[in-house]
Amino acid sequence: MCLALPMRITALNGSLATIATEGLEQQCSLALLPEAGVGDYVLVHAGFAISVIDEDEANETLELLREISAFSDEEDAVSSGGRLEEPSGDDANAGGGDAAG
Amino acid sequence: MRQADALHRLAADLLEEARPGLTYMEVCGTHTMSIARYGLRQLLPEDVRLISGPGCPVCVTAMGDLDRVVALARLPEVTLATFGDLIRVPASRTSLAAERAAGADVRVVYSARDAVQLAADEPEREVVFAGIGFETTAPTIAASLLEARSRGVGNFSVLSLHKTMPLPLRALLDLGETPIDGFLLPGHVSVITGTGVYDFLARDYGVAGVVAGFEPDDILKALLRLVRQTRPAIENEYGRAVRPEGNLVAQRLLEQVFEPGDADWRGLGVIPGSGLALRSEFADRDAAMRFAVAVEPPLEPSGCRCGEVLRGVTDPAECALFGARCTPEDPVGACMVSSEGACAARYRYRGLDD
Repeated sequence: MCLALPMRITALNGSLATIATEGLEQQCSLALLPEAGVGDYVLVHAGFAISVIDEDEANETLELLREISAFSDEEDAVSSGGRLEEPSGDDANAGGGDAAG
Repeated sequence: MRQADALHRLAADLLEEARPGLTYMEVCGTHTMSIARYGLRQLLPEDVRLISGPGCPVCVTAMGDLDRVVALARLPEVTLATFGDLIRVPASRTSLAAERAAGADVRVVYSARDAVQLAADEPEREVVFAGIGFETTAPTIAASLLEARSRGVGNFSVLSLHKTMPLPLRALLDLGETPIDGFLLPGHVSVITGTGVYDFLARDYGVAGVVAGFEPDDILKALLRLVRQTRPAIENEYGRAVRPEGNLVAQRLLEQVFEPGDADWRGLGVIPGSGLALRSEFADRDAAMRFAVAVEPPLEPSGCRCGEVLRGVTDPAECALFGARCTPEDPVGACMVSSEGACAARYRYRGLDD
């Protein structure tokens, strides 16, 4: 549940940040981390950046967290999509919930 | 390979320096997963025993609270939004997954912000967010609630079942059922709270604590720090993410939206002040106030020892149901459902994590 993934901020739009990991882009809120800026690696939990971390350590951490995240998704029997704006297939009820792992 | 060498070196140091009969408890579901995944128990010397505590938010949610979530989901006007790991957890007589299959409007969201957007998109629905989680998660719910208010999204409310971490540790030590020489303290809870909230462990109980990250070497390094302490103290091994003072912005948001309330913990019962209740200024956003639901007395699954597992008194493998009647595919108790439950982690990595 307290899983947080390290991601890099690539753009800012008010209190929203565009974050990228492995070519995947998402948005997260900076409401809990207003000091973060473009280029920072941040830990993202449930759609919110919560802490700035060092880049090298961000890359180290990814492997384990990806696996735990994938396991959570699998346990929830849902796809890796699940953002509300991208309902997967014909079951808009199914979601990723990956931050809840 | 370099990492494997480093882990074996750390394990060798632990073997050399640990004195007999040490028991350490981790209280974070992501630690549970990491320990199981990397087979860290097999690397530890026999002198060091590692047990799981009440660190999986879904697992510690009391049956009566799960029943309230289900009752809300059954209201025809309600769309219940929740993180994914709550969906399959058995309530007394059903689960959110079963209710969804029977027609209830239950949506899994990645973020509470998505639930606010859902409410904005579907103004004819009452969107209730089932707020489960510790200090890591609760500020994201606080921020989402404030966002709903500032955007004028009136049909968004929260059932706050949030809990805070320090008090159950005190409760465990007061119970004294199992010896605990030190705690591996939760990394991402501590990102928010900082490290000072754990000072009472060393000061009042003479029990050590080290905030740990989630890589296998983080966990072994934290254990080595615990072993090396000559006087119990609180240390921080996860300094790359955890500042001593925590995330002050998140703390302020928590303070603004929530106040301490009683919380019911599976395995530990009601611990006064260990929950986060919505402040009265947010009564209009409080699903507990907004919707009157009646729930029958809770029923616990027969034979399930999840409560004992969460207190570190019973090892998952000691439960007669473990791996037989209770598996992740067909779980009896919450500790086997949530991916980070002690039973689920042990089952998934059986052979590695014994």
